[in-house]
Order: sequence, then C-alpha cells, then structure tokens
Amino acid sequence: MTEAEAIDRAKNGDGYSFELLYTMHKRRVYSLCLRMVGNTAEAEDLTQEAFLQLYRKIATFRGESAFSTWLHRLSVNVVLMHLRKKGLNEVSLEETIEPQQEDGPKKDLGARDNVLAGSIDRVNLERAIESLPPGYRIIFVLHDIEGYEHNEIAEMMGCSIGNSKSQLHKARMKLRDLLKTRTLEKARR
Amino acid sequence: MDKIENKLGTGCAEFQDELPSLMEAGADISNHPHLQQCHTCSDLVRDLLYIADQAKLLLPLHDPSPQVWSNIKGTLVREGVMGEDDDPGNAKKNFVVRR
Repeated sequence: MTEAEAIDRAKNGDGYSFELLYTMHKRRVYSLCLRMVGNTAEAEDLTQEAFLQLYRKIATFRGESAFSTWLHRLSVNVVLMHLRKKGLNEVSLEETIEPQQEDGPKKDLGARDNVLAGSIDRVNLERAIESLPPGYRIIFVLHDIEGYEHNEIAEMMGCSIGNSKSQLHKARMKLRDLLKTRTLEKARR
Repeated sequence: MDKIENKLGTGCAEFQDELPSLMEAGADISNHPHLQQCHTCSDLVRDLLYIADQAKLLLPLHDPSPQVWSNIKGTLVREGVMGEDDDPGNAKKNFVVRR
C-alpha cells in the first residue's frame, strides 16, 4: 500500500490505514514535539493529540502540499495551542524571561576565546537547545531545525516577522554561550 | 586596530546590531569590512553560522513509547470511530512504502 492509498483509506475511517500513517510519521511528529517542549511526557501527550486531530481532520487534506508537510504544520499548531494555554507564548514573546536582554542580544565585545567550530556534537547541541528559554527554543526549532521561514513562523506564532528574526538571533547567541560554557567545563575536568 | 576596537567596543556594537539582518538576508558576510579587522566578531559570526548549520543536521531520532498508540487507539475506539479488532503492531510489519 502506498502512502496515498493509506491516506485515502484513512479518510474513509479505515483504522488499519490510519495506523500505517502513524507508523510512518510518529518519529518526526514526536521529535518535533519533544524539541519544542523539552519534556518527554508532554511530548507524548502532544503526539497523541496531534494524531487524534489528524484522524478527525484527515478528510480535509486535499493534497495541495505533501502529506508530511500538512501533518507537520498540524502538529506545530497543536504544540503552539498547548503552549498558549500554558501562557508561555506571551511570556516568551515579550522576552520577560530574560529582562536584562530587553534591548537586544548581549554584545560580544570581549577578548577572543575559543571558537565552537568542530567542537560540538549532536548530544551537546540537543541538550543546549533543551535548556533554552521556551520562546527562544520554539523559534530556533521551527527555523533552524524544521526549516520554516520567518513569515510562516510569524503567522503561526501571531508575532511580527521582525520579532521572529530577533528571537532567532538571541536564541543562537544564547546557544553559543551555553555551548561554550559546556566546552570550557569539559576542558577543566 | 583590532585591539583598539575590542577595547572600546566601537564598530563591534554597531556590527552586532546589524548582524541579525545581515545573516537573515542570506548574503555572504565573510567579506564584511568589519570582519576583516575584528577577530571577536569574526569568531562570533563563524560560531553562529556553525550552530545554524549543525541544527540543520539534527534528525528526528526519538520514537514515542508504544503507550502513545495504545492511547490513540483507545480514544478512537471509545469514540466509536475505530474498531477494536485492529491489531496494533501489524502495521509496521505489513507496510511497504512504494514511492
């Protein structure tokens, strides 16, 4: 059975085909949820919610985009809705998480120190992303990992394109700090 | 020149204010005049580009626990939209993707 056939059958309520779609896409949806919320239990709940919504909405899938793109967008919306309910969206967008950086990212005017190139691995990067403040993490995950454009992020998050760009820059700067700290700590051991 | 720039922070602050829009424009900023004379900003740009590049390589590596599918199926069965006799677990064995 092809994916297109599974989609058609799932539209008619075929549970078996729906399970096939779940099997195909669960990893990507779960990884997206996990990176956005940084918590396995929450990520599993959100994965569950995303696929339940998929079951209920699959009849509206018209094939104008790839199914994976459509499902991905649906999943992002599920996570963002969840975060809005928790009140994190407003907090992060107003940047009250790090009020000392209200006027923009911290400047690096200091002496030259070690550069990161070649020194970070996947595990360290994943951990550093996990420890980003939620607002930074969401924009970073959506833009740098998932490949969304700023206009798409702005639409999904209900913020300006400029805000999305600014949050992304701050997220990368914060990640650089986190990764450098980890590298230095590792070197001291 | 480099030493003076770093000590005073002039040039660097302006460049770093401009940096988000320079990076988002997607232009090659390695030839920016400020970077030719400032190692601090040059290192910063290199690190930020490196982080963005590494992020693109992060693959979805984690699977949800089997409980997630059980919960989804349980909910759909309770709602009466999916039959109870569907055997979870068969899907993976029987599904061959043809592209």
